[in-house]
Amino acid sequence: METLSWFGSYGSTLTTPVSALIAMMVMVALTNGLLSFASGNGQTALLRTGFLSMAFLFISFFILVFLFLKGGAGVNYESVLTTLLRIAAVLVAFGLFAALTSWILRQSLNDAPRLLARMMRLLWRALAAIAVLWLAATLIFNTEAERGILASVVLRFLPVWIALVVTFALSIRYKRKLGLYGKLFDSTVGMLGFALVMFWVFTAVFADIIITHDPISPIGRVKNPLPGTPLVDPAPGQYLYFLLGGDHLARDVFSRMVMGARRVLQIAPAATLFAFMVGITLGLPAGYFGGKFDTALSFIANLVLAFPVILLFYLLVTPEIRDTGIPIYLAAVLFLFPIIFLCVLLNSRYFTNPPRRNLYVGITLLIGLWAYSGLAFNLDPTGFWSMEPNLLNVFVSVVFVNAPTVFRIVRGIVMDLKARDYVAAGQTRGESPWYIMLWEILPNARGPLIVDFCLRIGYTTILLGTLGFFGLGVSPESPDWGSTIDDGRKLLSIFPHPALAPALALMSLVLGLNLLADGLREESLRD
Amino acid sequence: MSDASAPWDPSKPILEISNLSISFFTRLREIPAVMDFSCAVMQGESMGLVGESGCGKSTVALAVMRDLGKNGRIVGGTIKFKGRDLTHMTEEELRVIRGSEIAMIYQEPMASLNPAMKIGAQLAEVPMIHQNMPKAEAWALARQIVADVRLPDPDRIINAYPHQLSGGQQQRIVIAMALMAKPALLILDEPTTALDVTVEAGIVDLVKELGRKYGTSMLFISHNLGLILDTCDRLCVMYSGEAVETGNVIEVFDKMRHPYTQALFRSIPLPGADKNSHPLVSIPGNFPLPHERPPGCNFGPRCDYFQAGRCDAADIAMSTVPEDDRHGSRCLKWTEIDWNAPITKRASKPKTPIGKVVLKMEDLRKYYAVSSGAFGGGAKKVVKANETLSFEAREGETLAIVGESGCGKSTFAKVLMGLETATSGTIMLFDENVKSTPIQQRNTDTVSSVQMVFQNPFDTLNPSMTVGRQIIRALEIFKYGASDAEREARMLELMDLVKLPRAFAERMPRQLSGGQKQRVGIARAFAGGAKVVVADEPVSALDVSVQAAVTDLLMDIQRENKTTLLFISHDLSIVRYLADRVMVMYLGHVVEMGTTDQVFQPPYHPYTEALLSAVPIADTKVIRKRIVLEGDIPSAMNPPPGCPFQTRCRWKSQVPGGLCDREMPPMVTLAGGHQIKCHLSADVLNSMEPVIKIAAE
Repeated sequence: METLSWFGSYGSTLTTPVSALIAMMVMVALTNGLLSFASGNGQTALLRTGFLSMAFLFISFFILVFLFLKGGAGVNYESVLTTLLRIAAVLVAFGLFAALTSWILRQSLNDAPRLLARMMRLLWRALAAIAVLWLAATLIFNTEAERGILASVVLRFLPVWIALVVTFALSIRYKRKLGLYGKLFDSTVGMLGFALVMFWVFTAVFADIIITHDPISPIGRVKNPLPGTPLVDPAPGQYLYFLLGGDHLARDVFSRMVMGARRVLQIAPAATLFAFMVGITLGLPAGYFGGKFDTALSFIANLVLAFPVILLFYLLVTPEIRDTGIPIYLAAVLFLFPIIFLCVLLNSRYFTNPPRRNLYVGITLLIGLWAYSGLAFNLDPTGFWSMEPNLLNVFVSVVFVNAPTVFRIVRGIVMDLKARDYVAAGQTRGESPWYIMLWEILPNARGPLIVDFCLRIGYTTILLGTLGFFGLGVSPESPDWGSTIDDGRKLLSIFPHPALAPALALMSLVLGLNLLADGLREESLRD
Repeated sequence: MSDASAPWDPSKPILEISNLSISFFTRLREIPAVMDFSCAVMQGESMGLVGESGCGKSTVALAVMRDLGKNGRIVGGTIKFKGRDLTHMTEEELRVIRGSEIAMIYQEPMASLNPAMKIGAQLAEVPMIHQNMPKAEAWALARQIVADVRLPDPDRIINAYPHQLSGGQQQRIVIAMALMAKPALLILDEPTTALDVTVEAGIVDLVKELGRKYGTSMLFISHNLGLILDTCDRLCVMYSGEAVETGNVIEVFDKMRHPYTQALFRSIPLPGADKNSHPLVSIPGNFPLPHERPPGCNFGPRCDYFQAGRCDAADIAMSTVPEDDRHGSRCLKWTEIDWNAPITKRASKPKTPIGKVVLKMEDLRKYYAVSSGAFGGGAKKVVKANETLSFEAREGETLAIVGESGCGKSTFAKVLMGLETATSGTIMLFDENVKSTPIQQRNTDTVSSVQMVFQNPFDTLNPSMTVGRQIIRALEIFKYGASDAEREARMLELMDLVKLPRAFAERMPRQLSGGQKQRVGIARAFAGGAKVVVADEPVSALDVSVQAAVTDLLMDIQRENKTTLLFISHDLSIVRYLADRVMVMYLGHVVEMGTTDQVFQPPYHPYTEALLSAVPIADTKVIRKRIVLEGDIPSAMNPPPGCPFQTRCRWKSQVPGGLCDREMPPMVTLAGGHQIKCHLSADVLNSMEPVIKIAAE
């Protein structure tokens, strides 16, 4: 069998129109940039900015050449120089053309920027149309060989696409009834972020159907097969190709990336949630009561924040420290907070009605302590709640590092909100401080907290990646993205694909979370 | 004037707005904010724009500055400034005009000043940008203008930063900045709303005088009719995006020709109104939301003279009132209405009998210790928020506590509620001393019998809990009822009590208007059958037409439940209207106390006299003596020695031997239990003239 091509049968015919489109987009973007530089200052200024930016390009180019010539000892100067010169020539050509067009446009048209923006939109649409047409045409093929790698990957994610379409259709249909979540669908940025995040969430959910091979065991004996390489002697029923190639142990990169999503999305949101529980439970009283209590807690929080995070991780995860039991003690303390939080939350609300309060608090305590015994001490008799020691370490470290930041955010919001009249109204009717904190203040602090929650899942994901990269993550053969990038790092210059796939996955998830947070923030501020 | 190129005839209006329409575009719909608005301001004239919040008066001002934000757009009409149409100017042309020919003064002075720049630098920037004036010359001009706005010690002020000045001084600086380029038109958007009344009086005088001195035309935006009467030549009354009546101030005040203007005047407490014999007439219904305006006349649904089929048929144009000076009314029926007919709806109510003493305070003091050092060290300073406070309040009585910001009235409320404990003295509540009992240790009965109504309607309800849920919570805490169903039923009764539809229980606070929220606040306060209610400026943040309704509601509930009402306010008009007794506070001291008649008639405490004179009254028949206090209220951290009011008192010279500088005056009891804390002799006190006189008709 032959190696798969990236774009399938129609790939070669597409190259010309797509590259032409992209070149045009670059032109338009350059022209637009120059125009906006010189907006409102007349043509002379426009030309001046045009030439200035040309000069800037030249100078930076020569500095680059100089650095190359000085730095690289074994570098072939001639080839480097010719490459650079070629790039420079293209840049200069583009720049001059753009300056000229913008000058002409400026002279002949009043609203050149609007025209350019329209052109840009048109080009984008053309590109998107080509992509969609290509995909539709290619997906009809029956064999991977005709479809190519990209279309095959898209097809593997079929359950995710269906789930995404259903989610979006329902959400947009009922967006006016869904509060802040519904408002998200008014902002393009928010929708994009939400789509990226949900893509990976659904991937984690459907990972078992999506993967092509077992993510942990080696397949065949060829090391580092390139993307699209066929299996040497496939067993019956086995998928015939390494879609995104294989790593140095001949494990399937695509399957590892998909399974990695499950690992990452299991730990990151849960760890963030725990960090929030700890931060809120401590931040509320610190901001509300102030005084010495606040001073002491803030000092401790600053202490944790001042410590270099990576060093802290190294310390917490090294076997010597682990043997002292410190992570277990930390877990014992940190995991207690969610239980305290929920009990206080329910008690302050329902203490006027003791039977109901006893019921709610009792259920919380029962489930909470059951989970607590399993998660912190691994003592759950039924075995339902348990966490392997490696995972526990990582989990505790992430919570420990994130909680102080949440603490400070909550404390700041509470200090602002506690001066409100509805808080005073609660005080004058004799409410307990915890009721006021948890039911009067906390719900009104939700906006910034939700935004920070999204951002923080992103940070946690990166943190987990970093941990995995340093080999501090979960078990060695775990497919989580950080460890996979670390594995692929050693052969990066020869075989980039084992590291590239999880890196792109990580990037897109964090980007999605950031866009989602941006969208939420923007929408929560509007009317 | 810098703009010599534009041919403009000074006999023409300096600002001429014709048929202006402005809309805001949200993601759901276009919201028209101003429709078909026309007005003209002549050279040297000051034009008042009055209306309730949301009527579009500020939008008009922003449109003149062409500063409507990215959602707002002018959808029709023209704004001509000196004959040039502002609506079609480019950004560059506007930049030349803004600040140099049209200047604007906003409500919040601190927000208009750059906190990181010295006052002098901020002022000098204006001529340096607009006239390319050299720096030294610009600073000299700044110093001169600072002196012009009557700030003491201009050399020190121009080298100060904004935070080193008081609110009143800051607003004077903002006015100075507006005047730096000698603008032809000055727009003032509620310039004194954030300031205390005695400070406001000074600013108003200054604006009037500067207007005369420089011949500046003014567009003065305010919700306060009295202030407009004090400052403007002409006015334009706006309602729901439209100008409903415009004309000469005196003519509109005395011969209004639009039902809304009439209703507005009937709903504000003027001298002569009384809660029992002459209650206010509130405007029925609610202000329509911008996207739910009725067809035809916007005021139609709330108008007494409404005629179906005629008033709601088509849009109504402005019609001129003949004989008057450019007087116009947007009413179809103004020629048919008998404008002199007496008010028919006004029903007098029985006076509440005053019962036994419910609350008694004796020699109450509240001191705060403030450390001045940056690290908690340094000398401890004591802020005396309340000094020797003694009074009693009886069942069914309304006791008004009057004073400006920083006088200690809010601290007093906190001590009474138990949020703070008193330093010394006694508070007897139903014969029980609650002085040093914080609220957590008070029993449920005490807590539920003393409740509070708060000032800010947008802050008084928890934004993320339904209205009904918040009232039920109060009932739960006060241990009312045995089951959820019982509490639910009681909550609905409370909604009836405050005259809100029962369906509102399911709503979130953001779906309610300010007045409706305040009603919910009242319902919540009365949930436990409160006997003493502290109302902390309950209506000052509400619109005039709503104020009357909420005030009446409070009075009705008081009559029914025989509640003792402690009404904290700085607004003397409303105090005169509803209080039985008045207590005037200044810097933590009670300076005067007596029945409403005693306090509003001479002899006065000098501070009460100044306060009475500072409050603008929207009645052309009232003649007020102008007493403008110099300077600002001293800081409570650093009170003057002797009498707290001696730094601003105009009677100080009448006291022999500099007694005011040295000794705290004793509380003197005059005839009828009227108490005044002043060194002035009985003769001098008796020789005082009334501040407010009503001219004979």
